Amino acid sequence: MSQQLLTAEPRAGGSKPPPKRRAGHIRGLTGWSYGMVAPSVLLVAALLYAPFLWSAWLSFTHYNGTGSPAWAGLANYRELFSDPVLDTTLRNTALWVVGTLVLPVGLGLLIATLTYNVKGGAWLRLPFLLPYALSGTVTAVVFGFVLQDGGALNTLLHTLHLPGSSVSFLQTAPLNTIVMIFAQTWQSIGVNLLLFVIGLQSIPREPIEAARVDGAGGLRLFTSVIWPLLRPLTAVIVGLALVAGLKTFDLVWIMTEGGPGRSSETLAITMYEDAFVSGNYGYGAAVAVLLTVIGLVVSLLYLRQQASPKRELDLTGAGR
Amino acid sequence: MSASASAGSVGAGPVGTVGAARVDSRRAAKAPRPAGVRSLAKFLRIGVVVALGLVWLAPLYLVVVNALRPSTAYTGEHLWTPSGSFSLFSNFSIGLNAGSLGPSVWVSLLYSLIAPAIAAVIGAMAGYAITVLRIRHGFSWFMVIYGGTMFPAQMLLVPLFFGYANLRLYDSRIGMVLIYVAIDVPLAAFVMRNFFLSTARSVYESALADGANPWTIFWRIYLPMCRVALIAVFILEFTFVWNDLLFGLVLSHSSGVRPLMTTLATLSNPYAGVTVPVILSSGLIVSLPTVVLFLATQRLFAKGLTLAQI
Repeated sequence: MSQQLLTAEPRAGGSKPPPKRRAGHIRGLTGWSYGMVAPSVLLVAALLYAPFLWSAWLSFTHYNGTGSPAWAGLANYRELFSDPVLDTTLRNTALWVVGTLVLPVGLGLLIATLTYNVKGGAWLRLPFLLPYALSGTVTAVVFGFVLQDGGALNTLLHTLHLPGSSVSFLQTAPLNTIVMIFAQTWQSIGVNLLLFVIGLQSIPREPIEAARVDGAGGLRLFTSVIWPLLRPLTAVIVGLALVAGLKTFDLVWIMTEGGPGRSSETLAITMYEDAFVSGNYGYGAAVAVLLTVIGLVVSLLYLRQQASPKRELDLTGAGR
Repeated sequence: MSASASAGSVGAGPVGTVGAARVDSRRAAKAPRPAGVRSLAKFLRIGVVVALGLVWLAPLYLVVVNALRPSTAYTGEHLWTPSGSFSLFSNFSIGLNAGSLGPSVWVSLLYSLIAPAIAAVIGAMAGYAITVLRIRHGFSWFMVIYGGTMFPAQMLLVPLFFGYANLRLYDSRIGMVLIYVAIDVPLAAFVMRNFFLSTARSVYESALADGANPWTIFWRIYLPMCRVALIAVFILEFTFVWNDLLFGLVLSHSSGVRPLMTTLATLSNPYAGVTVPVILSSGLIVSLPTVVLFLATQRLFAKGLTLAQI
């Protein structure tokens, strides 16, 4: 099979096969191809596109679940943007995005680099890989137990005579968001580590050897040789982390339900609260629309930022 | 002299090519000093990783110690001290029976095996129609299917909730499987399309010349050919469905339909009246399938993940 991959002919290699020939090959081929693409298209249309459009429309209505939605124009959005809860939610969501970007990705890269080419590196990495196999729910259960008042962390701090033995980690904002970001880091570092290790192992040996020979070692070797070679992979990893941070739900829902009050809500939690707890489905849909728009903007900015420095680099290289 | 020369060459570019003779002389000149520095550096490197590793293991240690503690012996004190007994399974069986986790385990196993399998085959069919059968406007069809990954789940929840209620799909196993399949299909189609792009077209053409119809060619030749990609997608999607909390929360409520993680989340509520050892042992045991799957197929898993992103 791998041989086939190697000898694969590029699809759009020569001139396009004329449609006549394609049609002449076997009668009813069009029927076959539409038949085989249909299940995917129908499922996606019915269960993803239609609900998406329906949500967008609902965000302009008042709907409490009974009767039919009443058109309300921009009322939900006006209410949303004057709601003080939104400030907290946006701040928390930003904390989540930045936190889950910096900590799991940064630490993943650090550990991958430190254990790369070390004998027994796989064993050293195992503690970080294990938690990734746990679900968000189980992680939340574990850290709810560790961080609860008088829980394992409070006890440990007390025994070690360190400050914080009587702090309510989950009841104090914004501390609760921060400790939950650490819990998320604990869980998600594994995937970044794994991807970085695979990335490091796929770096050709020659540039590293050459740099070593030139006297570059440690940090210098990392910044000038390894990091540039890892950049394309890092782009993917950062993209994954961005999306995951924006959509944070499971951990917060189980550990604090967005509380105390609404102090630790993220956008995903606020949407759930407003729609399914308070029964303001139109308003909840407006929060979902906001989440979607923010997601799109962040992705576009990220893609643009990701695309531009490379081009500059190429230009300067070509200019000389 | 040698110091300035090496500094100069580092500054000029780390990937510079160096003559073999110069390499040897420099190595010889530098060898004695770095030996000690290097072993110290290595010691520090490993020290940092081990220290961090211990921090990472601490929560796991706590979970294991308290999951093994007899349910009735849990007082919320001496959390760090092992109890000396092994009550993991008796705790879990309390969770299965009293906590009604039992039906959820089975139904989640059903969802996570069936939905990804259906999605993988359906997605592969679409990939095949687009790349091998060369459906007209293939790329547009592909974008329509893959575009499904753009929507955050929050955009789908309210309409799915009311739509399911109207169609009597709310709180039904079929409804749960349907949404899991729909969520999984875009990724499957994406990976399969990319895979089929790299296969030789002559395979298809000669099979067609032999008189096989497109479905037979797909089922007998193309599907077996993409085994590895199929498995990578399946593993990723198995994990997704097994770990799902949100769709279970919104689209189901009764035992026997409600998936595992949603039930576990309800149990973990302090008012659910279940002891900590029961919850922890349940959390530990229900994580075993994904732990085993993940550790056994790390590379494949990572491959699926990177394939999913680009």
